Amino acid sequence: MNEYDVIVVGAGCAGPAAAKKAVELGLKTLLLEKAQVPGEKNISGTCLNGAALIIPDLHYLVEGPVERVIREMRTYHINKDRTTIFHEIPSEGILLLSIRRDHFDAWHTEKAKKAGAEVKLSTTVVDIIEENDYVKGVITDNGEKYYSKVVIDAGGVNSIVGRKAGLIPKRKGKNMILYVTICVHLGQKVIDERIGECIEYYLSPGIQYKTWPWLFPKKDTVTLGTGGYMDENLINDEFPNVNKYMENFLNLPIVKKKLEGGKIVAWGLHLEYDEAIEKRVKNGLILTGEAGGFVVPFLGEGMPEAFFTGIYAAQSVAKAIEANDFSEAKLSETYQELIARNFFMQAFRHIGAVNKQTALSKSDEEITKMMQNVIMGGGFISNAIHTKWMKGVEDQDKELLQEAYDLLELIQPYANVDPDFENLYNERGRK
Amino acid sequence: MKIEMKVDYYPGDTGEFVRVDEEKCTGCGDCAKFCTRDVWEPDGEIYRPVNLKRCCECGACWNVCFDDAIIFEEPKGGTGVRFSYG
Repeated sequence: MNEYDVIVVGAGCAGPAAAKKAVELGLKTLLLEKAQVPGEKNISGTCLNGAALIIPDLHYLVEGPVERVIREMRTYHINKDRTTIFHEIPSEGILLLSIRRDHFDAWHTEKAKKAGAEVKLSTTVVDIIEENDYVKGVITDNGEKYYSKVVIDAGGVNSIVGRKAGLIPKRKGKNMILYVTICVHLGQKVIDERIGECIEYYLSPGIQYKTWPWLFPKKDTVTLGTGGYMDENLINDEFPNVNKYMENFLNLPIVKKKLEGGKIVAWGLHLEYDEAIEKRVKNGLILTGEAGGFVVPFLGEGMPEAFFTGIYAAQSVAKAIEANDFSEAKLSETYQELIARNFFMQAFRHIGAVNKQTALSKSDEEITKMMQNVIMGGGFISNAIHTKWMKGVEDQDKELLQEAYDLLELIQPYANVDPDFENLYNERGRK
Repeated sequence: MKIEMKVDYYPGDTGEFVRVDEEKCTGCGDCAKFCTRDVWEPDGEIYRPVNLKRCCECGACWNVCFDDAIIFEEPKGGTGVRFSYG
């Protein structure tokens, strides 16, 4: 009775996507979830990227419950000298869909169920069943054993399946981010006025440790998140825990104003790791989503990667069943090929890696300043530098690159506003 | 705005899903240092997850424990932390 073609562990983003795809490919599928309601064990940025949803595999997800459509993006770079706001407003189109995981994952699970997957909620997997070096199934907390040709692990960052299989190691230091989130109720009208259809990122000394704090609006609440890499410098006398970074974030005057009159309705805590794990596949087992390290926390990307890898895992299982071969080699063959073909995933991993390198090599002050320079002087000064720089790269002209660099150096003193001028104006200008 | 750690839990017994291996624990206290929920407290020369009812299941303690002294499992199905607006 307890035999399936595939067992999917975890009904977050990857799990329901995998289960739905598996039944569509004709596989007898079981989906297990530890929470009473899918999504109630999940904390995330909660904005689905339109650049991912436009890929046909994910089209069906736009039918899910959406809190708010996001069309704009603002970035605040704040240091003691100035606040620089970069507001990006595309002429048309939707950038992201803001969602609530407890609503969205529940909807997604229902979708898999309607397609034909058997779903068991409030069911925690405590161990895997292994025979002759093959993963053959799982054991749940009530002692029940379930068997399958392949297990798809969609159990998240610390997934018990991946750990028991020896694929998920312990991680810390610069490979792991610990962050807190808070959800503030403001009411739909206030959010429409103060934030609108816009997500916001912030960077300022003392409000994060090598990451990018964010403020995302939902329908009548906003979620804020911040934290940092779990190395020896994250927690210290000044920052006795990650809540201190959040406190400083909330107390930025510009943020304080936006949240005025609001009420905290939820607080959350989550780990994300920042390096792809070495092996995602084993005989009879595929790791997907966060369990498989398919996450770029630096860019706040993880949900699309989870949907994609869930779907790809199901396709890999179907191929393996056709060939009656559930070995690591057979499962990897399809899985790796599908992942390599996904431009979205490749591009984001690359961007994340480059930015992480920048963040780790500079201080918060330096990075804030660097980002401010990107739009220094209302864009006119930046353009003068940037144009030379880009032309130099295009023509491989080192002299032009040097000129651009020299120009940047030259105008540095003017980046600092001299307070003496205001004194002068107050004394003489008003006469 | 003052931070209020507003966390909900499903009712029911979670089981002892976080435990310490007394033989392995060296009492370094990294578990307590990285725990945002003050679950871990010193007890003689080792640390114990005394306030497990406050745990948010993030796994920071398990990940940072250099001595592999933390047994980090899952709460029983349908119990433990419950996030809305996640």
